[in-house]
Amino acid sequence: MCHKHRLIGRIDENGKRWNYNVDEAIYNHSVHRKIECRDCHTYITKIPHDPVTEVVNCANQCHIKPPFAQEKFSHQKIIDLYNQSAHGIKPTDSEALKQAKPYCKYCHSNPLYFRISEERVAYGETLRRCFNCHPQSGVIQAYIHMTHRLRKKTSRSSKEIVELCAKCHQDTALMKKLKVSATAQDAVETYNQSIHGKLVRLGSQKAANCISCHASSGLHDINKKDDKRATIYKENLMKTCQQCHATPTNWFAGIAVHPKAEHKESRIVFFMSIFLRLSLYGAVLSMVGLMLFETFGRRRDGIKLVLRNGTTWRGQSKPGSKKAK
Amino acid sequence: MATSSETVSETIAIPAKGKARSDEYFTYVEGVGSIPRDIYKHVQSDPLGDLPRYSVHIVIQHLLIFITFMFLVATGLPIYFSDVFWAPAVISFFGGIDTARLIHRIAGFTMMFAAAYHVVTIVGGTLRKIFSHEFDYKRTQIPRLKDLYDLVHDLKYFLGIAPYRPKMEKFMYKQKLHYLAIIWGSLVLIAAGSALLFPDLMARLIPGTLGKLLPQGLIGEESYSAFFQSLARLMHADEAVMALIVVAFWHWSNVHLVPGRFPMQWTFLTGRITREHQIEEHFLEYLNNLREIPEEREYMRNLLTELEIESSPEVPPPDRQASSPQQEEAGPEDKP
Repeated sequence: MCHKHRLIGRIDENGKRWNYNVDEAIYNHSVHRKIECRDCHTYITKIPHDPVTEVVNCANQCHIKPPFAQEKFSHQKIIDLYNQSAHGIKPTDSEALKQAKPYCKYCHSNPLYFRISEERVAYGETLRRCFNCHPQSGVIQAYIHMTHRLRKKTSRSSKEIVELCAKCHQDTALMKKLKVSATAQDAVETYNQSIHGKLVRLGSQKAANCISCHASSGLHDINKKDDKRATIYKENLMKTCQQCHATPTNWFAGIAVHPKAEHKESRIVFFMSIFLRLSLYGAVLSMVGLMLFETFGRRRDGIKLVLRNGTTWRGQSKPGSKKAK
Repeated sequence: MATSSETVSETIAIPAKGKARSDEYFTYVEGVGSIPRDIYKHVQSDPLGDLPRYSVHIVIQHLLIFITFMFLVATGLPIYFSDVFWAPAVISFFGGIDTARLIHRIAGFTMMFAAAYHVVTIVGGTLRKIFSHEFDYKRTQIPRLKDLYDLVHDLKYFLGIAPYRPKMEKFMYKQKLHYLAIIWGSLVLIAAGSALLFPDLMARLIPGTLGKLLPQGLIGEESYSAFFQSLARLMHADEAVMALIVVAFWHWSNVHLVPGRFPMQWTFLTGRITREHQIEEHFLEYLNNLREIPEEREYMRNLLTELEIESSPEVPPPDRQASSPQQEEAGPEDKP
């Protein structure tokens, strides 16, 4: 009502300007277009409302009933999954860690609900994702009958996912402060050097991004690698690789997905890289040097880099040489 | 340097005068006469090539490798240097990263086909020559000690110490070096590229075979497949960048840009080499050409006669020169 006015807002105590405008054109194309404001903003009981002190709780039940289900819809399931993951806030966490951990809205910012890039998602994968929120019974029939947004992938592209994760995980100072393991500290950097990272950076949708390996189809169950539920736990690794690679073996799972730039662990590879680099420079410099030297040396043959009659062929460039003297 | 080239042209006029070693300078060929080492400055050359050098198979293989190499570089380089600004532009030119990878693979397999074709050609041709008793290992790419001497000789010539360039076979030291480098590079790139394309297959093959032969302590913490995979990642990229730099800055300059070859040599298309180039850098192969091609013998005989008559008309019989004492010495020296 009031929020349709484009300039509605206020200037707070610090002089910062806040815009409270809700653009209907954008909102009506978002995922939440069928949801009324007060389904999420439950603390608003009268209009005009009091100053807002609470934040939206995504675990709220809204007035939408999913097909073939009795209860009202809620994101509760996925939030439970999330809270159990490495990113969920644990009572044992330090204060800094609690502060640093992201919550729903950190990744799911509202502009995202406006369709960004649409891409067809495979049938089976789509259905698996449905179960994240919907009860299993009946959803398949419903799915067949209706066009559903999940058939089109409206979320971030692989590249955007990597950028999102990198926002925190690339911050080495922050990661050090939060006492994450050494391999996790430079995980973004090493990933970007891998073939997965390079392909994703160049726009591939097939190559694995962060959550392809670190989460199941639940997408939110990112766990540490010594956690048995983690997709990157030693015993689950094969299954994770199998999503893309046809016939992985135990040996295959050992191949570094986050390759280190300097192979301090493997001496041979380390020395090999130095040797290759030296041989590259050596070969190129000596070969080009030889060529320049040769060009210099052949000048005493009377040869010049001058085009005459369209070529520097001696036979043609000096047509009179035969009759010299 | 200008003076030395002066003396060289003087020598044509009055042979064996003021020359250091006449047997080095003159090569006597039966039915042709004594050929001065710097005759290449006076021959007529067709830029398209006068003398045979490569068969049509070699020309096709070279073209195949040339085209696939261009595609491999254009699609591979932006993946390796994926963070530079032009990488996404090049990739989108090829229709996205997935298409670019497909092109890279197709080009790679085409290049492997060309390599196999080359091996078949070489083995077949060698066998044919062995059976018809024409095979001469000196005319092949097999490295010899002479190549090292030729290199030293050539360096001396470039420094102005030696008077002439060495007499070299069909393939000189540069070409043999490059050929060896191509063999090594192809093997590395094919092996490493296959390991990158089929990592799961490689992981099943390597530990079963090679892994058992090597002691575990050699590679530290990693497993063998991980070790070989990181080796493959390293070597495929490094070897490819090296190949690109060598081709771009050495091969192309050498064959097209250096003086005397500029603006382009047609050999890679016609399979023929110019007479001038053949005599300058592949003199011993030119002697083979003289033996095998009657027209070339005819041409050289006429040229020698013409030069001697025109340059020194006061010397009456041209035949006298051919049998002068200097050439008597040169006689046993010449090699076919």
